[in-house]
Amino acid sequence: MHKLIVDANKKSLGLNLKELWQYRDLFYVLAYRDLRVRYAQTFLGLLWAVLQPLATLLIFTLVFGRAVKVDTGNIPYPLFAVCGMAAWAYFGFVLNQSGNSIISSQEMIKKIYFPRLVIPLSKAMVGFVDFAIALSFIAVFMFYYSITPSVNIIFLPIFIILTIISALAIGIWMSALTIRYRDFQHVVPFLVQFGLYATPVGYPAELIVKNLPGWASTLFYLNPMAGIVEGFRWSLLGGNPPGQLAYYSFAMVILLFITGLYYFKRTERVMADIV
Amino acid sequence: MADIAIKVEGLGKEYILGHKKSGDLRNAFGDRLNRLFKGSDQNKESFWALKDVSFEIKKGEAVGIIGRNGAGKSTLLKILSRITEPTKGRFEINGRVSSLLEVGTGFHMELTGRENIFLNGTILGMKRAEIKQKFDEIVEFSGVEKFLDTPVKHYSSGMKVRLAFSVAAHLEPEILIVDEVLAVGDAEFQKKCLGKMDEVSKNDGRTILFVSHNLAAVNQLCNSGILLRQGNVTCQGEAQKIVHQYISYNKQIETGMGLINLELRKGSLEYQVDSIEIFSESMQSIKIAKTGEPLVFEILLNKKVASKGVRLDFAIDTEHDMRIGWFSSSVIDHELNAEFDKIYLKIPKLCLGGGLYYLTFYFTTNGELTDFIHQGFAFEVEEGDYFGTGKTIPKNQTFIYQSHEIFSN
Repeated sequence: MHKLIVDANKKSLGLNLKELWQYRDLFYVLAYRDLRVRYAQTFLGLLWAVLQPLATLLIFTLVFGRAVKVDTGNIPYPLFAVCGMAAWAYFGFVLNQSGNSIISSQEMIKKIYFPRLVIPLSKAMVGFVDFAIALSFIAVFMFYYSITPSVNIIFLPIFIILTIISALAIGIWMSALTIRYRDFQHVVPFLVQFGLYATPVGYPAELIVKNLPGWASTLFYLNPMAGIVEGFRWSLLGGNPPGQLAYYSFAMVILLFITGLYYFKRTERVMADIV
Repeated sequence: MADIAIKVEGLGKEYILGHKKSGDLRNAFGDRLNRLFKGSDQNKESFWALKDVSFEIKKGEAVGIIGRNGAGKSTLLKILSRITEPTKGRFEINGRVSSLLEVGTGFHMELTGRENIFLNGTILGMKRAEIKQKFDEIVEFSGVEKFLDTPVKHYSSGMKVRLAFSVAAHLEPEILIVDEVLAVGDAEFQKKCLGKMDEVSKNDGRTILFVSHNLAAVNQLCNSGILLRQGNVTCQGEAQKIVHQYISYNKQIETGMGLINLELRKGSLEYQVDSIEIFSESMQSIKIAKTGEPLVFEILLNKKVASKGVRLDFAIDTEHDMRIGWFSSSVIDHELNAEFDKIYLKIPKLCLGGGLYYLTFYFTTNGELTDFIHQGFAFEVEEGDYFGTGKTIPKNQTFIYQSHEIFSN
């Protein structure tokens, strides 16, 4: 027999992962909806998912590759950049989507119960399509420049998972914060734009470590994506593995993810009242 | 215990009014500072949408919840559906719950009817497999077969509602919580839905909690009812009785002058009361009185009376039949004109807390009973600021306000 007890005096902070699992169908269906709706009634359709990163890549190649002539060793610049961009674009997409996700589903939140975490989580899944397209870009570029992947590629899944967790961590934080403070609606796009340059997407991280003082490098690596983008690229193209500072990034991912879940859980209780 | 489906104990929900709800960081930061330095929030104003609600619902019962707007019906359903958390109290639900506070929750206009069935069904808590299995039935019930692969944005509003309701109607919970969802859709389809709900509760023995303004539907569907008023349960009992009580109470509140309980009327009725109305001090007609403010009753008689030998008594009872006020021309110096057909009773500062009260009217001429109506008029009092401090007396203490001073040597 299904039994439910709600007591105003006993508030639990458990994450209730079991319940989340029971709602997995909702998670799929929401992701499906977003995918279907995303390019509905557009002329180019899914082509947009290809054109957007290509345009960014083009400008990066012109500015960093040709004009500034960033040193990427023996790796052709476009390939170098596309590896960083794949991870970053996924992160940025999930962040943008999930930051606003609770507010844009407020009609639903006010009318029915389900674990609210399903909403930002489903956004991570929607991003997989773009992520897959970006990964196939990398394959095409490697083929074109006839560069074989390094043996480090066995670590690629780990970095993909870290990318997802990192995107979720910040996405969950932002979605919960946005409900209370609409300021974060403006913070998120800024964060994504700012992060594109503050993360070693278009340039190698060594440039920062070499040219900036120690504290600045530490700060640089407190960005969870700094270490991940570096590792992601290393697992594909080889070269120097991420330095010790990169572990700051990995620690930040875990820290932000866990605190994010708990902050979200705390906000979840009053979500329908304040959204 | 085993046959209880829903047990609610002392449930209350407080909403914070004013700017503190959400908003921007600067406000939140300012509040923190305020609290830090002053020790409390100065401008926190709260509102109890539900005050102290307790009831039990047995398995297989169909219960209608009725009450005026703002009585707390929707808040109660929201708490029981776990959309929002109670501020105090607890509740227990035995069985799988589906709540339907709206039809078509999560419907997306760009998606086709088919896709929306899956979307909406999943949101309502059905499993994919379950929807697949009932898919044909849902489509047939809705009658939109032809447009199944058309985006819902091209549907007429009636079609949308039909499709949405068909999904909802195929939920199979043990306990169904339904808000005023039948207000939409055409009359014929409404009937079909009521029939379906009726079938569900009577044949399958499921528990239904149903909020509606459609009293006929409550009457037809429910075997018991709960009447809510100002966040409290006023009475619980047989559906027909509750509906009847609500109607008489409502009619009278709406018009502000109807007399009730006339079957208990006594006296010669040579002169009789036609209507009673309440007014503010400036003689503005009002529907609801307010604690701490002047209140004037106007009693309209059917014809003029000579003031000689007239005695007028009034009494106020709570809705639980407790007499808490008695007013009479026999104990004060009255100012009745030589001839009159309107009597005024003025209370300079109403000392009654929020709730429903009854006025009893007793009228004699020359020692002979002319008209007596026991609890013949009901009026509602809204909790107000009696002390001028913005504070009210806790409900569990008393409902009578008395001005007082506290001082020391």
